[in-house]
Amino acid sequence: MELWLSMKKNQVDIPAFKRDYITMLNEDSKRRNPGIKRILPQALLWIAAAALVITLCPRIAAAQETAAFFKQNCASCHTIGGGRLTGPDLKDVTKRQDRAWLRDFIMNPQAKINAGDPYAVKLHEEARGVLMPSIPGMTAEKADFLLDLVEAESALPESQFKGLQISNEPFTPEDIQRGIALFTGHQRLKNGGPACISCHTIPGLGGLGGGQLGPDLTRVYERLQGRTARQCMALSPRHADHAVHSCAMPPLDPAEIHALVALFEDTAKNGRILPNVAVLNFSLLGLGGAVLVLVLFDLIWRARFRSVRRNLVQDNQLRGLP
Amino acid sequence: MSNYHDLLLFAVLPYLSVFVLLIVSIQRYRAQTFSFSSLSSQFLENKMHFWALVPFHYGILTVIAGHFVAFCVPRSILAWNSVPVRLYILEVSALIAGLLTLLGLIHMIARRATVSKIRTVTSKVDWVLFALLVVQIVTGILVAVLYPWGSSWYAATMTPYLWSLLQFNPDITYVSALPLMVKLHIVNAFIVVGLFPFTRLVHILVVPNPYLWRRTQVVRWYGEARRAG
Repeated sequence: MELWLSMKKNQVDIPAFKRDYITMLNEDSKRRNPGIKRILPQALLWIAAAALVITLCPRIAAAQETAAFFKQNCASCHTIGGGRLTGPDLKDVTKRQDRAWLRDFIMNPQAKINAGDPYAVKLHEEARGVLMPSIPGMTAEKADFLLDLVEAESALPESQFKGLQISNEPFTPEDIQRGIALFTGHQRLKNGGPACISCHTIPGLGGLGGGQLGPDLTRVYERLQGRTARQCMALSPRHADHAVHSCAMPPLDPAEIHALVALFEDTAKNGRILPNVAVLNFSLLGLGGAVLVLVLFDLIWRARFRSVRRNLVQDNQLRGLP
Repeated sequence: MSNYHDLLLFAVLPYLSVFVLLIVSIQRYRAQTFSFSSLSSQFLENKMHFWALVPFHYGILTVIAGHFVAFCVPRSILAWNSVPVRLYILEVSALIAGLLTLLGLIHMIARRATVSKIRTVTSKVDWVLFALLVVQIVTGILVAVLYPWGSSWYAATMTPYLWSLLQFNPDITYVSALPLMVKLHIVNAFIVVGLFPFTRLVHILVVPNPYLWRRTQVVRWYGEARRAG
């Protein structure tokens, strides 16, 4: 207002205008910058809160993340208190072996084995030569978090990682039938994964057989030494072999594993590996189909424009002209 | 392949390719609008053209549609594949489409290499594109034949991987363990996407789709002289 008052009609008082303008700017600046003393306590409070969040969050998140990480990367081969799978039971592992050693081993299992470390070699032998894969993105810090988790879970009467409890009931013909239905996909897998036939084959499937991305499962029962909890677990698609050679898939349900083991036992008893003609048949069907489609194209576009001159020449020849 | 390479090829390259695709396509359309074309050479040679273009386009469109559908509705594909006969029908159809594409491409290359008029209108980048497409289609067919049944395992590997890319949170664990042939197919696809705006592939962006549903147009000469004809 003062600024406008100092500006009279058609007549501007320059010094007064300048003075008012500067006053206005100063007041505005004070309003916007309330002074360091007034904002310091507030700022400190915010900084402290942020620092707290920054320090605590990763720890809380890390604890949750570590459990998820263990479930995703370790639980396919290790239990905590549920017995041996492909890898050893990890209950109280930190009491059996030095923590620094374990950290190094988690970070690079192959290096320890290659270096001839007797304990690592023993573990490798106990796993029947299955090498523990190096986990992508593993760091010393992550390994420490994992060891903390294993320690905490070992102290519990029953760890959440004790593994799947699979029925020990004898196999029935119904189990085998259910195994076939699960293998071929007639019965969808509970957790939504693709059926075994997508990547594996066994004899007696008929048609073009099973997939070839994964290994032939005719002898899987013998390969995994019969029906024990370990072998059942090994059928879970998060088995080390899958982690190394294939992909991440939703895990199998214990009842599904039971039916599939029944099928594999039956296959091992009765099945023999047949010469694989499926690939050849598949290729021949493809080639035959392609030829058919080409013939179809030729028929559909039989009246297509081919050329001008050739038609004229042919017409003339038909009429007996030169 | 080491993790570092996997990260580069499956988590960095896809974004790089799509970025280049978007930026260069827009820039090229603004700067050289009329270069957005497949530069038809049908007028110069018509006979081989049919056996190149028709099988190629019907094949590639079917194959790409298949990849896209499996990406969008993997569970429906798995449900379809739950009866082995249906799985076999789907796989054989896809293989037929792949073989038609390859056959069309071989004809295209032969046509551009042997017909002198066509060779004149063929640029260096066309040859680069041909090479990439040969790799893409041959690896695709080999994956179908050597690692069946892709229509099913795609749902457990490629679909989650592509979704992870789309959500800007690439998870390469889905693909890092796949056989080399499959990896080559994926990486080469990203390279084709990246080179897309530099090649005649841009014609895909200006396909005259309305031709499919617009009313037919009668074109005739405007003026007295032509009325008789």
